[in-house]
Amino acid sequence: MKILLVEDDKQTADYITKGLREHGHVVDHADNGRDGLYLATGEKSYEVLIIDRMLPAMDGLLLVKAARATNVTTPVLFLTTMSGIDDRVTGLEAGGDDYLVKPFAFAELLARIRALARRPPIMAATALHAGDLEMDLLARTVTRAGRRIELLAQEFKVLEYLLRHVGEVVTRTMLLEKVWDFHFDPKTNIVETHISRLRSKIDKGFDKPLLHTVRGAGYVIRAPD
Amino acid sequence: MSFARLTRLLRSASFRLTLLYAVLFIVSAGALFAAVYVTATAAMQNDMTAVLRTEAFQLAEVHRRGGLPGLAEQVARRMNFRTRGPIFYLLQAPNRHVVVGNLPGMPPVNGVIDFVPDPGASEVEGERPKLMGFGLTLSDGSFLLVAQDANRLADMQHAIVRAFAWAGGLTVLLAIVGGVWLGSTFLRRIDTITRTSRAIMEGDLSARIPMRGTHDEFDQLVTSLNDMLARIQQLMDGLRQVSSDIAHDLRTPLGRLRQHLENARDRAKTAADFDAATEAAIVEADGLLDTFSALLRIAQVEAGAQRRGFTALDLSALAQSIGEAYQPSAEDSQHKLLLDVEDGVSLTGDRQLLAQLISNLVENALHHTPAGTTVTLGLRKRGASFDIEVADDGPGIPEADRDKVFDRFYRLDRSRSTAGSGLGLALVKAIAGLHGLSVRLEDRGPGLRAVLSN
Repeated sequence: MKILLVEDDKQTADYITKGLREHGHVVDHADNGRDGLYLATGEKSYEVLIIDRMLPAMDGLLLVKAARATNVTTPVLFLTTMSGIDDRVTGLEAGGDDYLVKPFAFAELLARIRALARRPPIMAATALHAGDLEMDLLARTVTRAGRRIELLAQEFKVLEYLLRHVGEVVTRTMLLEKVWDFHFDPKTNIVETHISRLRSKIDKGFDKPLLHTVRGAGYVIRAPD
Repeated sequence: MSFARLTRLLRSASFRLTLLYAVLFIVSAGALFAAVYVTATAAMQNDMTAVLRTEAFQLAEVHRRGGLPGLAEQVARRMNFRTRGPIFYLLQAPNRHVVVGNLPGMPPVNGVIDFVPDPGASEVEGERPKLMGFGLTLSDGSFLLVAQDANRLADMQHAIVRAFAWAGGLTVLLAIVGGVWLGSTFLRRIDTITRTSRAIMEGDLSARIPMRGTHDEFDQLVTSLNDMLARIQQLMDGLRQVSSDIAHDLRTPLGRLRQHLENARDRAKTAADFDAATEAAIVEADGLLDTFSALLRIAQVEAGAQRRGFTALDLSALAQSIGEAYQPSAEDSQHKLLLDVEDGVSLTGDRQLLAQLISNLVENALHHTPAGTTVTLGLRKRGASFDIEVADDGPGIPEADRDKVFDRFYRLDRSRSTAGSGLGLALVKAIAGLHGLSVRLEDRGPGLRAVLSN
């Protein structure tokens, strides 16, 4: 995946660049907003832009606004410091697609980049599936191997999000944000308990589990080979 | 009054103001004096001239009818009666021989004259024989002079001057005394303000300006200054509390973090040991970051910056979905989480912050009560307002601690062993404050009830 990183702090930039390259991504780096805008609107096309909010020469928000004004539609992930709670809203308004608060776990960054790059064109889909698991979005029903599975509303939403990102790791924070719209960290294992209930409903009694825990990263629904 | 104090007084704004007013008053009194003096003098002069003129023309009429002898007789009679005040007469024949009169002879002059008759040669009494006369040369060439004591005019002028001199002197005196009094009154009050601010500058933050109880502008100023000082002190105390709390409460996790890193360096023999130590260090670091972001969040919420993000939202739906989110976790820890949420409660606020507020209250109830406890999340309409309520039938909180649990880092002794930053309720209070909600803890006997109401 071709990624542009605009980040002025050298240590953070090295950490991210190195990590992404280890995971097989191609990373270009700019350490100020002006160069970042030049690259983002240049001939090379990127699949994801990772942009720090606070940048020399040109602020991250301005950069994205300017890039969007020249019809750059590349998904943007904003990096923000933890001090700015308002940053999320202003970032999304400026044309950002997601945000990540620094400091973050690297797995979180990877999962979000992957989720961004393959922005689901399946929003209009009426059914989702993984292996023999089927989800009917209109009837709001779930079946596995033809057998009906009863899910509570929030379990349904968790499963829906996982199914929309089949094969991709979804982190705990992503689930909190997308399913519950919680942009803070609850001190209770909300995600874990929902996952465990979901797992017992969709995997219990079947040979091949679909819902997997990725240690230190999150969860993934994977169709068995 | 010491010399230095007097100098200060003379320099004081109120004294100078009073002095300025005194000067203005004296100038206006002077103008009034001049006007009175001139008009009174003129009026009296006119009056005197009119009397003399009338007398002279009456006598001229007598002369026209009875000739010089008739007139002489009339004048002599009038001199004897003096019915109309002290009037002096002189009737001179054309050869300047005095026919009758109590004034010495003189060359004839027509009209109003001021003159001083030869002393001794007249019957004018007093030491200042200044006269005002009206002379008339009659048809046969004889000369008639009617005169009056001009000192009446001077007396009146003196009286006016004297009256104004007294009044002016008194005014200046009153102005100075009043200025000194007013100046020192204001100075005293300003001095107390200055003294208090000096005391505060020297470190006594609890110093307050005393009130006089007169409810005047000074008292109002003092009240608002004192309120301002109270607010500043409150903020300062908060800040001091926070910094000492941070220093105190972050030492422990930082110490543990250091321990884990040291373990990794010194004792880790295998990759698994190393992993475990780093994992533990990361957990500590995350905990620290959480504490920091909670502190920042509280600070931002308290600063009120979040109000920009306010939107109209469905509080009922929010409470319901939060309750449902926590139900599986509650079941896992053998708690019963009941939802008693009325529909149709809406509110203008920050969705994220309100979600965190309700979550914190629910988490508090779940974390600080033993297994088997029933927790109820309720939202009830009360007319135009509403109550958000999280109630449990657990051990409750001693009354003495109920206010303190809203302080940053405050933890009950029995909660020290459980996980948590001690910031949850502080954030609840800050968010409630931002939304204009009051938050209180009530004894439910047994149990505790946290109520938020608008």
